[in-house]
Amino acid sequence: MKGAERIEIDRRYCKGCMLCKYICPCDVYDLGQERSDLDYLMPHVARIENCKVCGLCEQHCPDMVLTVVAKKKGKEKE
Amino acid sequence: MNPLGEKYLRKDFLPFLFCPGCGDGMIVQAFLQAVDDLGCVDDLALTAGIGCSAWIGVYMHVDILKVLHGRAIPAAIGIKATNPSRKVVTFTGDGDCLAIGGNHLLHAARRNIDMTVVMVNNQIYAMTGGQVAPSTAVGSKTQTTPYGNLERQLNGCKVAIAAGATMVSRWSTAHPKQLIKTFKKALNHKGFSFIEIMSQCPVQTGRYLLGSGSPQFNFQWLKDHCMKEEDPSKWAEIEAQGNIPVGDFLQVEQPEFMAEVARMNQRVKEAQAKGGDR
Repeated sequence: MKGAERIEIDRRYCKGCMLCKYICPCDVYDLGQERSDLDYLMPHVARIENCKVCGLCEQHCPDMVLTVVAKKKGKEKE
Repeated sequence: MNPLGEKYLRKDFLPFLFCPGCGDGMIVQAFLQAVDDLGCVDDLALTAGIGCSAWIGVYMHVDILKVLHGRAIPAAIGIKATNPSRKVVTFTGDGDCLAIGGNHLLHAARRNIDMTVVMVNNQIYAMTGGQVAPSTAVGSKTQTTPYGNLERQLNGCKVAIAAGATMVSRWSTAHPKQLIKTFKKALNHKGFSFIEIMSQCPVQTGRYLLGSGSPQFNFQWLKDHCMKEEDPSKWAEIEAQGNIPVGDFLQVEQPEFMAEVARMNQRVKEAQAKGGDR
């Protein structure tokens, strides 16, 4: 089963449009309380265990700030 | 910044000047993905006119020429004429391409010049504050038509097909996968490619035409109203319901203008070498 190791949000450029939260089929994001450098409320990665690394949020982000880092294969075996 | 952005964007120009939730950023990403997959970044030459969507090319680390309002297509023809090995792409908006530069679109399509025109359609003049554009639907209330728009809508894809473009597609920002595929096809296509992209503009289109400034609402509107239909005979039915037909409408092979010019030059040179004048 695919899973995400972490989701990086670049706080320098995020404009808080929350399209990532809207587009995510697995309900990974919540509206966070932290502000980006441009003074918008950023999304918060609340449920990373739900993430299937489909890449929809990455593809739909208008400011290209999201990076979904997938778990490395074979990590579970170790 | 995602890896694609790290690789191809001009860091000193960031952040994007687009409003929160604007579709133009998605188009930057889809285009960069297509360019990355094809590995043709060094061959690219971009031109742009004026408008929000003209800024799409500015953020990419490729050669770009930013010119007068509506004149992006003639500048692109110039680049293509001087260096035919370049893949020339023009980013333009609906006002830039259909209103101010409408004539240039017709004649570039008619000559079948090997270039790609990416028209980002948000159905309004967004950068200047929400005035009526040729692509605005009849009856819409905008800043300059407070009692409803009386002018009929101009359909960019139909204009391009009628003018003789050899590849015509329309997608929306809600179709990123299809968009990447179409960008790749257009970059490899020998001839005039016209891609219309329906894009959300929460600030102006959302406020004036759709009734909500929420990016999510505007995005969902595109998802609900863009219907895949590649058969032109069924467009009227879809448009009557207030929906927008999308798809890859046309791709044909026709003699390309710059290749024909090169062939003519060759022919004349050979004739002159034999002693004739043409």
